[in-house]
Amino acid sequence: MAITLATLLACAACSPPGAGKGTSAGGTVAITDPVTVQQVADLGDVTLRMWADQAEKPLMKSVVPAFEKKYPNVKVDITYKSFDDLIATVVNAASGTNPPDLFQGNIGYAVDGALVKAKLVRPLDDVAAAYGWITGTGASTLAPARWNGSGTAFGSGNLYGMSPISEVQGIYYNKAQLKELGLKPPRSFADLEKDLPAVKEAGEQPIMLGNSDQYAATHIFSDLAVTEQTPASIRDWIGGKAGTTFVTEGNAKAAETMADWAKKGYFGSGYDGLSNEDAISRFAKGSGVFFVGGSWNGAMLDPAKFGFGALTTGGAGATASPWHISASSKNTPAAVAFLAALHTPKAGQVILDTGRLPVVTDGVKGTNSLQTQTLDALKGTIAAGTQVGYYDWTASDMLNVMGGKLQEVMAGRAGDTQFMKAVQASWLKARQTR
Amino acid sequence: MTTTATTAKQGATAPTPPAARTGRTFGRRPSLRSYLASLSWSSLLYVAPALAFFAVFVLYPIGISVWYSFYAYDGLTQGTPVGWDNYTAVFTDSLLRAALLHSLVLLFFYAVLPVCVGLLLAGAMSRIRVYGLTVFRAVLFVPQILSSVVVAVAWRNLLAVDGPVNTVLKAVGLGRFTTSWLGDFDTALPSIGVIGAWVEYGLCMVLFLSGIVAIDRSTYEAARLDGAGPVREFFAITLPALRPQISIALILTVTFALRNFDLIWNTTRGGPGTTTTVPSLYVYQDAFQNRMLGRASALAIVLTVVILAVVTLVQLALREREHPLRRFTRPGRPGRKVQS
Repeated sequence: MAITLATLLACAACSPPGAGKGTSAGGTVAITDPVTVQQVADLGDVTLRMWADQAEKPLMKSVVPAFEKKYPNVKVDITYKSFDDLIATVVNAASGTNPPDLFQGNIGYAVDGALVKAKLVRPLDDVAAAYGWITGTGASTLAPARWNGSGTAFGSGNLYGMSPISEVQGIYYNKAQLKELGLKPPRSFADLEKDLPAVKEAGEQPIMLGNSDQYAATHIFSDLAVTEQTPASIRDWIGGKAGTTFVTEGNAKAAETMADWAKKGYFGSGYDGLSNEDAISRFAKGSGVFFVGGSWNGAMLDPAKFGFGALTTGGAGATASPWHISASSKNTPAAVAFLAALHTPKAGQVILDTGRLPVVTDGVKGTNSLQTQTLDALKGTIAAGTQVGYYDWTASDMLNVMGGKLQEVMAGRAGDTQFMKAVQASWLKARQTR
Repeated sequence: MTTTATTAKQGATAPTPPAARTGRTFGRRPSLRSYLASLSWSSLLYVAPALAFFAVFVLYPIGISVWYSFYAYDGLTQGTPVGWDNYTAVFTDSLLRAALLHSLVLLFFYAVLPVCVGLLLAGAMSRIRVYGLTVFRAVLFVPQILSSVVVAVAWRNLLAVDGPVNTVLKAVGLGRFTTSWLGDFDTALPSIGVIGAWVEYGLCMVLFLSGIVAIDRSTYEAARLDGAGPVREFFAITLPALRPQISIALILTVTFALRNFDLIWNTTRGGPGTTTTVPSLYVYQDAFQNRMLGRASALAIVLTVVILAVVTLVQLALREREHPLRRFTRPGRPGRKVQS
């Protein structure tokens, strides 16, 4: 054993890990016009291999058969993974010897940044131009998939990914409970703040929150923070712009509000021991009057009983995990054609029908009031340009640092200054090591 | 006291392992060449497949981890050598120190508690005639074979603010003690500890039961004739006889405690705040979320060394000591069982 280790160490001493890993830039076909059926047919019989979040299954079930019918020489083979599994393994799969042609990454440094830095994904600027993505309704949603060449800053630069799915924050409310309390559906955080004491006084739990995963509270914080400062300033900080800081008056106020609401019992008790999943299922069953969160929670709720109050002031929210084309894919035209099939009003309607929100909203209609309300909220926030993305994009450990510290703030164990300084320190550290 | 001698004798009847014999031969002829010559190469052939497997799936990854631990490496682009920096970071990071402290607290819940509960149950089961003992044994062992995700989800619900635990507390008039057990800064760590204890005690119990079966029944009869009660019997016969089983149980549970990750990840993710973080949580985060493979490797190596050290301590503390009386009792002669 000692001998094995010694040999290993001896040979290890001479070369650093990852040395000599060539980045094959194979298959960089420039796309100037939408890919034709003939171009794809020229590939011969091919299998388009993909990795996707299992949440995409309903969408894929509709898109793939149509795609295979239109391009009969292409067989689509998708490997589904849970979101956690996907983001933990996709970078390694992409850097392997036989990477999938198309796969989903995740916005931020941990996944997309690593993919761009290691030149594992193909730039999509030509594709976006050829298909008109940069001028259509979803144009502004592409920003988080834009990176500088070295993968050290995002928000602008070359386009490396595209997501057909968007997310928006809002206030879900229980219609029957609101009626009973004689309250109107909230349209802003100011409305919500006014309603909370009344709900509490009536003996109901005002906001249902499940924060054991540590992210749900940061999203509410984000919605509060954006009412205290410009969305652009928050976006700059999330994008890692030099000279920006998290230690601002607005963030201090938002943190104080969170602590205040927690202290007054507006989130009930025991929210740190409840997962977001458990919380939304409780809310669906009638506990809690409000639920502040992202549109992905809506799939759990009965449209007849619940409504969605838009927050045009913005807050957390952006597109879902972007799709990337492998830089070494030999089936680029087919992969491009598949991305294009995802970025259509038809796919948009399927996305809405299966409980999520599309980026392409032209002609897309909700089939029930909750869907329509959520779609309108998305259109409203995109038009207002108030979505800031997610704080945890800033550093790969930000979710834990910020989520954990915010739990302390809400429990009265840390002050807002302490919270902001810890977050800023993590942001700075991540920036320096990039 | 006399019965202890008998117990020690039990251990002595075990056949001397061949390795020990070889060692003795080596001691007499201390030349490397003759040692190699004395090795039976054909026997090596038998262990070769297992050895190859061990080398590829255990030694090689460990070697790779050691290698990575001296670099700043993201798993994709070329790493840069950083010397001992990753290790200094491990020892200077206050969050990691806190995580190590949490591990020590969990050590009590995951190792000490299950061994005590296991001993109690095994002692009781061996003495009292329980109808359907096999069923009980099987049921009590179930936590050990459940997937940890299942365990975590089940306990998350049990310990929820409106879960069964709090309902029971309220029903018996202890309503003021109800809390969100996994969400409260003060109760989260002990709560996770209790879950771990629940997972591990079945394993301990089964180990101890198998050990108790091997104890010569006549020693109990002798003790009873000498007027020993159940408690005395337990401490004088059962406990000393179980020394090897306790040692194994502790090795398994200590390892489980120090490398625990899945239970925590699926219940609290290290929260609330950082009250339930453990080193393996940071290994996962650094390796798979932060893509800092160098630091994750360094931390994993340190954790491995710590586990090895603790396990060695346990083994040293619980190894079979030669009893002074053993010299006078020859193995295999039942007549000399009880001396006074």
